[in-house]
Amino acid sequence: MKIEFWGQEFQVNMVVGCLGGFLIAIMSSMFGFGGGPFMVPLMTVALRLPMYLVVGSSLLAIFFNTSISTMRHYQFGNFDLLFFLAMFPAALLGGYIGPQIAKRVSPLVVKRIACAGLVLLALNLLGIY
Amino acid sequence: MNKRTGMVPWLFAAMVVFLGGNAAIGAEGDPQTATVAAPTITIDKTELNNGGTIKVSGQAPAGKPVYLEVYAADHTVRANRFDSDVDKDTGKRPYIFYITSDMPAYYKIFVPKELQAKIDEEAKKKGKWSYSELLKNLGADIAYSVPPQTKIERYQSTLMASVIGSRGDLLPAMDEKENKKRSMQLVKARFRSINNVLAAVVDVKPDGAFSADIKIREGLAPGKYKIVAVVDKKVKSEAATFENKISFPTMYLENAGTSLNLFYPFMLTLVIAIFGVLMGAGGGFIMNPLLVTLFPALPHTIVAGTVTPTVLFSQGSGIYNYSKIKFINWKLGCGIGLAMMVGGFIGPKLTEMITLDQFKFAFGWILLVLAALMFWQTTPGYLARNKKEQAILKEFKKRAEEAAKGKN
Repeated sequence: MKIEFWGQEFQVNMVVGCLGGFLIAIMSSMFGFGGGPFMVPLMTVALRLPMYLVVGSSLLAIFFNTSISTMRHYQFGNFDLLFFLAMFPAALLGGYIGPQIAKRVSPLVVKRIACAGLVLLALNLLGIY
Repeated sequence: MNKRTGMVPWLFAAMVVFLGGNAAIGAEGDPQTATVAAPTITIDKTELNNGGTIKVSGQAPAGKPVYLEVYAADHTVRANRFDSDVDKDTGKRPYIFYITSDMPAYYKIFVPKELQAKIDEEAKKKGKWSYSELLKNLGADIAYSVPPQTKIERYQSTLMASVIGSRGDLLPAMDEKENKKRSMQLVKARFRSINNVLAAVVDVKPDGAFSADIKIREGLAPGKYKIVAVVDKKVKSEAATFENKISFPTMYLENAGTSLNLFYPFMLTLVIAIFGVLMGAGGGFIMNPLLVTLFPALPHTIVAGTVTPTVLFSQGSGIYNYSKIKFINWKLGCGIGLAMMVGGFIGPKLTEMITLDQFKFAFGWILLVLAALMFWQTTPGYLARNKKEQAILKEFKKRAEEAAKGKN
């Protein structure tokens, strides 16, 4: 499929894109996360699209997934209103405070900390420690 | 809605217990049951504040073991189990999905102290312990009276049904015996660990006097709880009632079936949301595993189902901001978005089919992959390329912003 973005044309392999998106969507909706950390690499690496095209468009794709899986989770009775109300304002507040701090810290350091944290969390989930 | 409809069978169950108790007392003169009189029961307090200890004492016929059945009478929760174990008789996998919304929010049987060894033995099997076998071994099946009353629905799942995201065909209701058997599996599926459903604390004296310190843990459903002392099938005391009170910021999460100090998830979300922004990724994939690890009482289905909508808003506002400067390719986003929509339709169905352990296992691997991705993003080769990409991104964004401004 050919797409045009800011005066440039890109060739996108929609079969890979849709299949990857489909699998990532199953996984992310099953486990309740957005899917961004997987979609961005999929679109930049597998589809060879530049970052500036990916940032917005991947968000839009993920939004489809999040809205439908929210609806489905609600339908299956997996949604707890009070719990949501406890988390939602915090998520908004975090989204407001985050960018202010972001200017002062190096993303590289954050990513390395996150990386270590993720491994620890993963090992914990796998019952290794 | 769930609460109200859930109450009806409860009242019925409570009446059965009550009438059963009365009948046993009334039958005292009957020559056949004269040897087993119904036990008496007294408790030292009728109110708890988010858990605590209740002293139960009473008099039972001498020489009989005493079991205490304790359950939440005001709140019920959902329990579900996907049966894909090979059937011993037919050798086939049944793929039947069992679900009930009538499970008491708290259910535990306290057995005589001497039986601790049997519980310990079963605990050695770790996740593979069997509730029904343990009940039988302990002789506690005579006290197991409330969960069999729950209305359990079962669905025949097929691969096709799962693909289109349906639970499958509703099968006819089960008979009493089958319902009881399945209810035991659901008790295990819901409360998971032995310590949540059984404890050996009842001290029975040779003359039949018994006493027990019943610990009600924190984070349980508020409302009325009932304790019934059981010495034999249909020979039980009247129900003693106490109330578990909770106060803000601890609140009862109706769907999750657990009480939680809402302050904790608030703080956790705040920290993770900030961290997510710094990392340039949503916090959902950290939030979920942290929640299931830190709050083991929360079912993973509720965690996944409630964290998902919290990111909707930030995604929406992100899309709005990008669209203002025309920084979204709608064709690409909607194309892949439609494929993701199909995936998002199926995924939540799968969440309820897996157990917490499977959830943790799979999530563990997902996080390892993610950690590898993150690590790759900090390698020098990626950074050099990313620097260029980011420069182009900024350049384009600037142009886009200017273009958007120029138009207004």
